[in-house]
Amino acid sequence: MSLGPGRPPAPGRVRVSAPRTQAPHLPATTSVSQEVAEQSAVGEIMVQSLIRSQLRLALVVTAGFMASLLFCWVLVSWVPFFSQWRIMGIPAPWLLLGVGAYPIIGVCAWLYVRAATKNEAQYRDLVEEK
Amino acid sequence: MNPSIGYTALILVSVTTALIGFYGLRVSRTTSDFYVASRTVRPWWNASAIGGEYLSAASFLGIAGLIVISGIDALWFPIGYTAGYLMLLFFVAAPLRRSGAYTIPDFAEARLESTTARYVTSVLVVIVGWFYIVPQLHGAALTIRTTTGLPSWVGAGVVVVVVVLTVVTGGMRSITFVQAFQYWLKLTALAVPAIFILLMLAGEGPGPVLQTGTELFPPAAPITGDSSYRTFSLLIALLFGTLGLPHVLVRFYTNPNGAAARRTTLIVLGLLTIFYLFPTIYGVLGRAFLPMPGAGESPDATVLLIPGTLVGGVAGDMLSALVVAGAFAAFLSTTSGLVVSLAGVISQDLLGGSVRGFRLAAVLAAVVPFGFAMMTDSLALAGSVGLVFAFTASTICPLLLLGIWWRGLTDAGAVAGMLTGGLLCGAAILLGSGVAHNSPWRDVLTQPAAWTVPAAFLVTILVSKATKHRRSASLSRFMTKLHVPERPLAQENPRSQAG
Repeated sequence: MSLGPGRPPAPGRVRVSAPRTQAPHLPATTSVSQEVAEQSAVGEIMVQSLIRSQLRLALVVTAGFMASLLFCWVLVSWVPFFSQWRIMGIPAPWLLLGVGAYPIIGVCAWLYVRAATKNEAQYRDLVEEK
Repeated sequence: MNPSIGYTALILVSVTTALIGFYGLRVSRTTSDFYVASRTVRPWWNASAIGGEYLSAASFLGIAGLIVISGIDALWFPIGYTAGYLMLLFFVAAPLRRSGAYTIPDFAEARLESTTARYVTSVLVVIVGWFYIVPQLHGAALTIRTTTGLPSWVGAGVVVVVVVLTVVTGGMRSITFVQAFQYWLKLTALAVPAIFILLMLAGEGPGPVLQTGTELFPPAAPITGDSSYRTFSLLIALLFGTLGLPHVLVRFYTNPNGAAARRTTLIVLGLLTIFYLFPTIYGVLGRAFLPMPGAGESPDATVLLIPGTLVGGVAGDMLSALVVAGAFAAFLSTTSGLVVSLAGVISQDLLGGSVRGFRLAAVLAAVVPFGFAMMTDSLALAGSVGLVFAFTASTICPLLLLGIWWRGLTDAGAVAGMLTGGLLCGAAILLGSGVAHNSPWRDVLTQPAAWTVPAAFLVTILVSKATKHRRSASLSRFMTKLHVPERPLAQENPRSQAG
């Protein structure tokens, strides 16, 4: 492998070694809002309320998702009308579990990401107003 | 099946994997490439890589095999595998990315400020990884046996050798490209033959002969206490087991920030959804056209046998080769993801973290499960992977969930909970493998997640409450780091840091 005459020399190899735990302490990941949060009691309360609202959101969406899975399960195993229903020759329970369950997952994920991003934006607004 | 199909597919996948690995290696030269190159990895690439790593032998071969044996109940497996990523998105993705932890032991140490907790976590991560590699090697052994007739150890051996070579010579960057490529290869390898066969069946002319005596779409088994317990316990294991898989966490590190980690997970969910349509189709085709596997035959070969059985001639051979290539992509990608993360843990905690240590650890991470795989016999891939998920859900999951969301978690609580969950779940798995078919304990032991996961959480919480004085001193600071959003993307230029 030879370098062409016009090319600058390649940067030398750098050995990457332990401890890897040092790697994450990149300056780019500490933000103004983090610093504000760490330096004041008010900041700490705001962080705690952010954590609480994110946790509440996650638990609510999880509960909704679990409820819809339970609904699918009941429909498939306990409702005779549903299990005899065929769409293009395929029984409805197979369609529900083989295809229909995935859009539910997708919708839950999308709702969660939207709401979680909103929570964070609200927090950021609060901090930056100060 | 014509053995040359198997050889061709195997060589093609191995060579392509190695080529992309080396190409990636040439791109990554500096430390910042090695670690921070991640910042130039787009969410789509990253999501494809996560999908490539996650879709293992159990997904590629196991689900269809299980559908052949147990019908509609098997459809809960892909739902659980996908929904596991939903839980990961809700509870873990963004905070874990912000924690900056590269491995789960890193997270344990940073959160709990305890090296004991770190070592316990490391040992558990290595156990999880080893037992997750074993079914991959069983899958490779089965594939080689079915397609070429060579003995089982050849298939497993090829996977171990290719993985160790790529991992020892390449960095994270090349692994990302390899994994992303392998997601699309796996999807193509399942989708093209399936669509071809469905079009063929829908067309005119005499189709292949339906197997008589098998019901194509058997209805769900009547609800009994046992079957409800099994489904419930399986879903607990799959939903909460994904959180703690060692190779999944490393991938989140390659997102630039927490919000990107969420976006990536959203794309991953879409990719998994598309993929999981196809194993179901193969399962149903297998029920329709293949004879029920007899004693000693594995139903997991269904996916491999379908194209050759239903499509004759050159087209059949080519489709078979494609499926075999996809299967090998599945074994290679999951195994290499696991070997990379295990090698990281082993080399850092046991071998001092040098590059030589990493290489030695990579060999160790792959050879030990090879030994296990040769000593044991695979019964059903989806089932054995399900047990690994149960074990992860009982050990790593309480550490991650409580560590991220509960300030009260202490190092003593985390260690006690992980040991309780690990011992209970490990004992159940060992006892369950020997228990008689009609034993009343069978379900409780073979699907242990429903009781071992709550037990692990309970012990973690109780011991943490009893050892309040051991809470880490920098707790507030760390929790802030986990949950506070980074600067909005508009204010920084991610490209400027990549050079």
